[in-house]
Amino acid sequence: MMDKKRIHEEGLLEKYLLDELSENDRIFVEKAIADDVDLKQQFIQLEADFEKMAFENAIVPDPRVKTMLQKRLEEPKKLIYYRTPLMIAAGLALLFMLTTFLMYNRWQESQERLNLLQTQTNSLQERLVVLEENYQTTNERLQLINAPSTVPFLLKGQVLDQDARAVAYVNHQNKLVVVNPKGLPQLPEDQTYQMWGDVDGEMISMGLLPTDKDLVMLKYIDKAESLNITIEPAGGNDHPTVEKLVSYVTM
Amino acid sequence: MSKLPTDNDLMTRLANGDKQALYIIYDRYAPALYGVILRMCRNRVQAEDLLQESFVKIWQNAHRYDRTKGRFYTWAYRIAKNIGLNALRKPMPLIQNEDLSVHSNKEDATTIDYTGLNGALKKLEPHHQKAIELVYFRGYTHREAHEEMDVPLGTFKSYVRQALKLLRESYGTELMITWSILQILA
Repeated sequence: MMDKKRIHEEGLLEKYLLDELSENDRIFVEKAIADDVDLKQQFIQLEADFEKMAFENAIVPDPRVKTMLQKRLEEPKKLIYYRTPLMIAAGLALLFMLTTFLMYNRWQESQERLNLLQTQTNSLQERLVVLEENYQTTNERLQLINAPSTVPFLLKGQVLDQDARAVAYVNHQNKLVVVNPKGLPQLPEDQTYQMWGDVDGEMISMGLLPTDKDLVMLKYIDKAESLNITIEPAGGNDHPTVEKLVSYVTM
Repeated sequence: MSKLPTDNDLMTRLANGDKQALYIIYDRYAPALYGVILRMCRNRVQAEDLLQESFVKIWQNAHRYDRTKGRFYTWAYRIAKNIGLNALRKPMPLIQNEDLSVHSNKEDATTIDYTGLNGALKKLEPHHQKAIELVYFRGYTHREAHEEMDVPLGTFKSYVRQALKLLRESYGTELMITWSILQILA
């Protein structure tokens, strides 16, 4: 009785119909309706009155709403909202995505080009450093050769090969020796030319003479009386093999 | 002549995935629900979208309908009302960004007045009409509605109760007249 009284006083049946109740009150009213025949009859009457009122105030929608509903249910994956701003939003979103995609591709291309240019620049810089070093060395050697204090010595083949030629440039002031070995005949891979300075009868190694170079810087030997070229095993020798003396010149 | 299917028959078919049953239900109830939704949002285009949404939800939730708890129309009305209220809580995308509470600024300048009341409701006193209109057709809660009408909550509840009683009497009288005519014809 208390429940019924509360339901009437608070208008809970109307609120239940209108879906205004909290979860607890909804359960409470549903139970009361199920348990009380009179209350159930009242609710049935209320529903009927509300429904009749709704039909009296019905408005026929445009037939296309039903058509669109049918389309939507037949094609469930396709959401159909006609003439709503969602279409505009979707269009703009698609346009934005396409633009972003194109911009991203162009950015990627630019990035790749930039990386390639960076690599080429680094390579050119490295080559420039090498060229500068080469130029510096060549220039130094040229200056050495052309210096007034430099004395050139021609070493002609005398013993083993009469056609062999080498030119040694000696600068006593700067204590430098540069040799052009290009005129020496090619040797097998297991042999090399080696130059020696003769100081009081003792032969001191000045270095090896690879024939694939234009100018070779050698060690200056103070007070050397002559320059000698011998053929030695590859890698050079501690003592000259006098049997294989190619050329010599007295200084 | 074949008998028209009842709502319960149709809901059983609907729960089994029969789309034709939904289209029959649509023909039967869409005008009544559209009358509620249009009065609630007062925008024809939006109301048509929401009506479509309501029937999609009815389709998707048909298996949840419990006929022991009430009529089909009551269940469908609650679905339509909730969809309408949710839509009103959200600002219209790309059109307006101002903060809209559910029941503020309802009178759109572009609104065409489809929303006049008819039937027995029209015969009630203006304050009774207004009370029923607010809670039933506009989606107001009792609490919101009494503030809208600027009367105490208890008074508002009395308005609703009186209005329902008058409606009941009106429909009861109509029923009696119909019954009498049928008796005479018989």
